[in-house]
Amino acid sequence: MLHIGNTHVPLCDGVSRRSFLQAGSAATLGLSLPLLDTLRAAGAIDESKAKIKNCITIFLVGSPGHLDTWDMKPDAPENIRGKFKPMKTNVPGVQICEHFPRMAKMMDKVALIRSLHHKTGASHENGQRWMMSGHDYSEANKQPYMGSVISRVFGPKGALPTSIILPVKIGNTGTSTPHGQESAFLGSGHEPFFLGGDPALSTFKVANLEPPAGQTEFRVEARRKLLKEIDDLQRRVESSSTIERDTAYARAFNLLTNPETKQAFDLTKEPEKMRDRYGRNTLGQSCLMARRLIERGSRFVTVNHFDTVFGISCWDMHADGGSLNNTYADYEHLLMPQFDLAYTALIEDLEQRGLLKETVVAVLSEFGRTPSINGRGGRDHYPSAWTNFLAGGNIRGGQVIGSTDKNGAAPHDNPIEPPRIVASIYQGMGIDLETTMMPGPGGRPVRFIEGEPIRELF
Amino acid sequence: MDQKFEGTPKAALRLEGRKVIRGDVENNWGSRLQWKVSRDGKELATVGAGIESAFEHADATPGKYEVVLQMFKYVSYAKDKDGKFTASLYVDISTPVAYTI
Repeated sequence: MLHIGNTHVPLCDGVSRRSFLQAGSAATLGLSLPLLDTLRAAGAIDESKAKIKNCITIFLVGSPGHLDTWDMKPDAPENIRGKFKPMKTNVPGVQICEHFPRMAKMMDKVALIRSLHHKTGASHENGQRWMMSGHDYSEANKQPYMGSVISRVFGPKGALPTSIILPVKIGNTGTSTPHGQESAFLGSGHEPFFLGGDPALSTFKVANLEPPAGQTEFRVEARRKLLKEIDDLQRRVESSSTIERDTAYARAFNLLTNPETKQAFDLTKEPEKMRDRYGRNTLGQSCLMARRLIERGSRFVTVNHFDTVFGISCWDMHADGGSLNNTYADYEHLLMPQFDLAYTALIEDLEQRGLLKETVVAVLSEFGRTPSINGRGGRDHYPSAWTNFLAGGNIRGGQVIGSTDKNGAAPHDNPIEPPRIVASIYQGMGIDLETTMMPGPGGRPVRFIEGEPIRELF
Repeated sequence: MDQKFEGTPKAALRLEGRKVIRGDVENNWGSRLQWKVSRDGKELATVGAGIESAFEHADATPGKYEVVLQMFKYVSYAKDKDGKFTASLYVDISTPVAYTI
């Protein structure tokens, strides 16, 4: 017997061939269907107690320097404290960078975690896997993205995918290892939906929602019927890949043909002033779309601020003079104002719509940046200390959790590792991490996450 | 994927004595805003506009002053050896206002 939550799941010991096939079919179907009913029945999940119903993560690919943003050290030597100055916020004693003036006015909603660190290598991909899945892993032992887990547990609320990543998937950030935004052993039915386009462009169309060139929606519908007939035949074979593919097809067709889903992605329905408030750029319009998607039924949306670190202005400020030539100038003139506008617009907008109390917004990054400024005026990768933050849901804002030493080189108190952030989100969404497990590779039960929720957050 | 910025941001300015007041930025690219101050046709200063809508330049030297609101226009991350952007630049997003001291 396997134990998933408090429910006993029979395996194939002592069963007839016929019942084995039925059990196999049910288990295979179970790869795609949400666990919600099972967990609810087992008392392992209680949605009525869940303070967080939705989650938006803004993932700052490339990673801002903690000493230049949310953990400033104005009394440190010049080559450590950097160029920018701290400013007061609406929370006494809490200061952040002068280039986040809007955020400074809403720090009472934000919980800063200043003692994040991880102990694996300083590559972008390591940090991406940690922060997007709560695990470090290899190609051979992939772990699922948070949104895929939420999809597996809760399933969809409506026609929209449970888990969506905007605007595009993370591409080349240095090594060819996973980025932590895949369903892994949870199967293709729980892959996040990737928007695949830039919502800031006037020519924007959702690449994944467009019928293939030369096909009308009528033809797509006709193909759906034909495929259903073929699938009915294939289903008799009872192979897991067939069932998995069924779910992926069904999801794709629903998206292609449902007018509600198309509306959800249509930013022209928003007032011009609202689009301006978020900023007419890729980050701003992605954050606006995230709000529209949550409002219309998605549960978990990640906005990737950048898909690469090479040859663009981004947070990866090595100042190397080549393709990684981001500097303080990029931060000051472009990135910080853009983030400040988009982030605060999202928090304000969610609050005004009554959605902030049930939606947590987590701003995450791969690591911090070196306390000492390098010889070229930049900072390099530094997983030993950094700051991320959460707001919304039942997160207790206006607080700083943990701290770093006087130079921001290491956690000084309450050191926190990435799985604890992921655990906090799962618990906030109503999953009892103590008693609940989920089907892992080969259907064997695995723990959701190896880490305790951060008690101070709530 | 590099960021693309479409359309042209613009903001209306009005004068109250020497104080310049700006309206909301339409088609806001979301990058940094700054005030550019000139006196008798020569650039005097650029000052970050922050989130305040009003600005008053402290200089009271006699002359004709012109103030315009600018926004950073990102074209590419390329910089020269001194770290200055070679393609990205600040562009005017308002018509200037002028006063004389």
